[in-house]
Amino acid sequence: MDLFLQTLLNGLLIGGVIATFTIAFQLTFGVLHVIDFAVGGWVVLGGYLGYYMVAAFGLDGFVAIPVAFVLFGAVGYLIGPILYNVRNSRTARPELMALALTFGLFTLLRGGMLTAWGFNTRNVTTALSGESLMVGPVTVPLIRVAAALFAVAIAGGLFIFLYRTRYGLAIRATAENRHNAALMGVNIRRLSANVYGLYAGITAMAGVLMGAIYSVNPESGLRYTLFAFFVAVLAGLGSVGGALVAALLLGVIEAYVATYVGSSYSLLAIFSTLFLVLLVSPRGILRRGL
Amino acid sequence: MKSRWLGLLLLGALLVVLVLLPLLVNNYWLRIATGALMWAGLACSWNMLGGYAGYINFGHSAFFGLGAYATALLMADPLGLPFTVTVLAGIAVTAACAVVIGAPTLRLRGAYFAIATWAFAEVLIQFATVMDFTGGIGGLSLPPFLNERFFYFAMLAAAVLTYLATWALFERSRFGLKVKALRDHEPAAEAMGINTALVKLQTFVLSAITASVFGAIFAYWVTFINPRSVFGGDITDQMVVMVLLGGLGTLWGPAIGGVALFVVNRLIWMYWGDTAFYIAILGAAIVLVVLFLPNGIAGLFARRRGGATVLDKTVEKLARAGGGDRN
Repeated sequence: MDLFLQTLLNGLLIGGVIATFTIAFQLTFGVLHVIDFAVGGWVVLGGYLGYYMVAAFGLDGFVAIPVAFVLFGAVGYLIGPILYNVRNSRTARPELMALALTFGLFTLLRGGMLTAWGFNTRNVTTALSGESLMVGPVTVPLIRVAAALFAVAIAGGLFIFLYRTRYGLAIRATAENRHNAALMGVNIRRLSANVYGLYAGITAMAGVLMGAIYSVNPESGLRYTLFAFFVAVLAGLGSVGGALVAALLLGVIEAYVATYVGSSYSLLAIFSTLFLVLLVSPRGILRRGL
Repeated sequence: MKSRWLGLLLLGALLVVLVLLPLLVNNYWLRIATGALMWAGLACSWNMLGGYAGYINFGHSAFFGLGAYATALLMADPLGLPFTVTVLAGIAVTAACAVVIGAPTLRLRGAYFAIATWAFAEVLIQFATVMDFTGGIGGLSLPPFLNERFFYFAMLAAAVLTYLATWALFERSRFGLKVKALRDHEPAAEAMGINTALVKLQTFVLSAITASVFGAIFAYWVTFINPRSVFGGDITDQMVVMVLLGGLGTLWGPAIGGVALFVVNRLIWMYWGDTAFYIAILGAAIVLVVLFLPNGIAGLFARRRGGATVLDKTVEKLARAGGGDRN
């Protein structure tokens, strides 16, 4: 029973971190109509940034979080318009071309990181690394608690931004109907750049946290892309609220499979679930996809 | 008419050179030529679905791997079947698998289809890694057969057959028109009476079994396979880049892209011996092609079609050929 509770808690905490970048991923799809294959690449790059902040400057891993947001936000702001142009270009199949572009970006990031840093795994050290908290019979690593709290803060901030500000309203309007939003005076092009920047920044922050909880290596990007897709498929592409539920579910499924079946089966379980959900209910279990 | 004869002449000359190649070069270059033929063929097989039907398959390595594993398992000790039998067995297994997987996934559009196929290939990797009969992560060994010429001619035959089939089916038949029509506008194609579900499934199966044949020859050729080496995402990545680079939905694009990229791969391998750098180049190539050369290399040579889109032409041709589908 203790193990059962422990696994549940671990799964929920990780699910919280996964939720941060998958919510942003969904938002990007809603606005840009692009499935970003490169999402795992941004996560891993964020983790590496955290590692180098610790290794090169002797700073605490947590310092890397705001730095990651600013740095990758800027990178995303520059990439966003390119994606927008490809998605809205007059080539024969802009949807596939945009998909191919993010796929190429992902491959480029993965290859670049492998060339620069090799296959070694890196870990982000923080003040809380190695500490843990006893809650009754359950032991919780402090870093996971901190990461989950941080994730809640980011997700909460994002929801407030989306539902309580004028700019959030513009984003939601664009996601709902870009044509009408444009008629209401929303500059879709600039909004796309901002949203992609926001998404890249949040994803890189999640990467720092992932680097502190587990570790990162260039090949683990695929895993996070899979997470984002899993959440997107379960929640329905573009559904922001559903992403939160689906991410928590994903964290719990992964934790239980890893604990009770074996960690080598967890990817098999996730991929199989993803595949089956796609076949049974293509618009997501929650049926709120676009 | 003149350019047609010139093209045929060039094609004939190319075939003669390819057949005589084993006499002209040493084993090292023959191996490279064998690899180039394999990739040209694989790119063509991806292009059948991706280029002609417009369905992006991010898990095509699944079928390459199925062919490879079928051959490896059946040629190994307890059974020890001959190679020709295992290739056919691989085709049968892959075709069955493609029907089972394709029928539900081909209902999905665009990105969902890409995700589903990608998930399917990853399921197979994970499956082959955790199972015992596939040798787990260590993989399988095949009885060594060290005859470079045999493998060269096997790949050559497979590649020539692939391109002939593509030409006959997608460029010169009503089937090809149906496929292109559904790519350009699926509801319109359906409204014209084309059984799109069936046509998509046929294309999917054809593309899958082609990949499986190359997988079978590859496994026998390298005599050792593991889950990453035959199911790995890198294999699909390369096919996608080759087709994009050469030109989506063209007959010769995949051949140009496949050979060009494979040669780059070997050059990098020769000078740096490091394949991680090649992955970065693949990625950069995709990005650059999407941004600056969306029609690929073949698109540079394509004749300008005055005004009419492919859809218009397809519809017109179908109408001339006697209306919709009577199947």
